[in-house]
Amino acid sequence: MESAVIQKLVGAVTMAVMFRHRRQSGEPDPAGRLRMLADEELMHLVYRSDAGAFEVIYDRHADAAFSLARRMCAQHALAEDVVQEAFLSLWRSRARYERERGSVRTWVLGIVHNRAIDALRRRTVRDRGIAREEGIEERLVAPERTDVEYARREEAGEIREALAQLPPEQSHVIELAYFGGMTHTQIAAMLDTPVGTVKGRMRLGLAKMRMVLGDPAEVL
Amino acid sequence: MGAPNDPLEGGDCGANAAPYVLGALSEAECEAFRRHMDSCAICREEVASLQVVAATLPAAAPQLSAPRELKQRVMSSVHAEAALIAASERARASSPRVHGGLGWRGSPRTLGWRHAGAALAAVVVIALAAIGLTRGATGGPVRVVRAQVLAPRASASVRLQDGGAQLSIAGLPQPTRGRIYEVWLKGAGAAQPTDALFTVSSSGAATVAVPGITHATRELMVTSEPLGGSRTPTSAPVIIARVS
Repeated sequence: MESAVIQKLVGAVTMAVMFRHRRQSGEPDPAGRLRMLADEELMHLVYRSDAGAFEVIYDRHADAAFSLARRMCAQHALAEDVVQEAFLSLWRSRARYERERGSVRTWVLGIVHNRAIDALRRRTVRDRGIAREEGIEERLVAPERTDVEYARREEAGEIREALAQLPPEQSHVIELAYFGGMTHTQIAAMLDTPVGTVKGRMRLGLAKMRMVLGDPAEVL
Repeated sequence: MGAPNDPLEGGDCGANAAPYVLGALSEAECEAFRRHMDSCAICREEVASLQVVAATLPAAAPQLSAPRELKQRVMSSVHAEAALIAASERARASSPRVHGGLGWRGSPRTLGWRHAGAALAAVVVIALAAIGLTRGATGGPVRVVRAQVLAPRASASVRLQDGGAQLSIAGLPQPTRGRIYEVWLKGAGAAQPTDALFTVSSSGAATVAVPGITHATRELMVTSEPLGGSRTPTSAPVIIARVS
C-alpha cells in the first residue's frame, strides 16, 4: 500500500518537473512528448483532467477496445456506442484507476467488456439474431506500426491458438460467455446442459489456457 | 470460507470463479459472489488465477481499426468537460473578485462562480446526453412538443413536466470537429444560454435534460458552438421548439 502511494507521488513529481522544465526552456507542448509517457504516467495527468493525456490513452487502446466491442456486439453502430460510453465513463471515473490492480489496457478493456455485456443483455433475442447476420461485412485490419504492436500481434496469435486447442465444448462456453455476453444459465439452457457442467467447462478451459500460455502477464 | 447462510457456500464454492471472470454471472449473482469472496480465500485465489487468462481474451478478437469519427465524438465531450472543469477551478481560485459581482457573463475573461456551478451542471448534462439516461417522471402532467429540425431525416421533441424539460433527438449529425451542441432558451428578449451541452451517439441520438424553462420561455433552440459553449449563439439554430 505504502509503495503504491510512493509510486503515485513519484509519478506526480516527475510530471510536475517535466512540465516545469518544458515551460522554462520555452519548448512547445507537443503531443509527441505525451506520447513518450507510459500509460500509468499519463493517468497521473488524466487524473488532473488533462484532455491531451487522455487522447493519447484513447489512441493507444481504441483499436483494441473497438475490436472487442465489435466482436461482442457484431453491429458496427452498437460497438461504436459501447466504446464511446466506455471511454467517456473512463474519463469521468479516472480517479478510480488503481495501478496495483492491473494495466491501463486491462482496465480499459474490462470497462468495454462490461459495457458491451450490458448492451447485449438489454437487447432482445430477435435483435441478436439480426446482429449476427449483419456482423461480418467490414474487417479493417489495424496496421502494424511499432514493436509494441508487433508484440501484441504475436501474443494475440498465441491466445487464439490456445483457445483453438481447447476441446470444442470448452472453447464454445468460453466464447458464448465472454464474447456473447451470455450468462451461465442462458448457456446451459441453450446447450440443454446442466449449469454445473457449463461452469465446469468454463473453469477447465481457462485452466488449460493458463497452462498453454504459461503464466500470462497482463495484456500488453 | 464463506459466511453463514452464504448461498455459494458448500459444494459450489469456487465454481463461480470462472463464470465470474468471464462476465457470465447475472448482476445479482455477481454481487453475491463478490460478497462471498470477502470471506473466502479459496475463491479469491481461484479468481486471481483465472482472471489473468480472461484478461488475455480480448486479443483473440479480430483486430480492427476504430473509426475516426468515433474519436472525434469522444474527444469533443472530453475537451468540453476539461474546459468546464478548468473554468470551475479558475473560478474557485479567483473567488474574492467573483463575489464582487463580476460573473462570467460580466467579463469575457473572468469566469465566476456562476460558471463554476454551471460547469458542474453541464458535466452532468453531458453525461446524461452521452449515455442516454433520462430523468424519472415525477407525476405531474406531461406535454410533448415536436421540434423543427433543419437536418434532413432528423427529429426532436421536448417533453415538459413539472417545470423540467427533456429534449430527445434522433438522427442528428455529429457536430463538426471542435464544436458541440448547446441548448438556448428564448423568452421575450434574446436567447439565453443554458448549461446543456451535448454530443450525439453514432446513430445521432441524444437525451438531454434542459434546466431553466419557465412560463416566460417561448422557444427552445439548439445551435452548434465551440467546445465549452458560447454566451450568445454563433450559428443558426439546428433545432427550434415552441414550448409555450
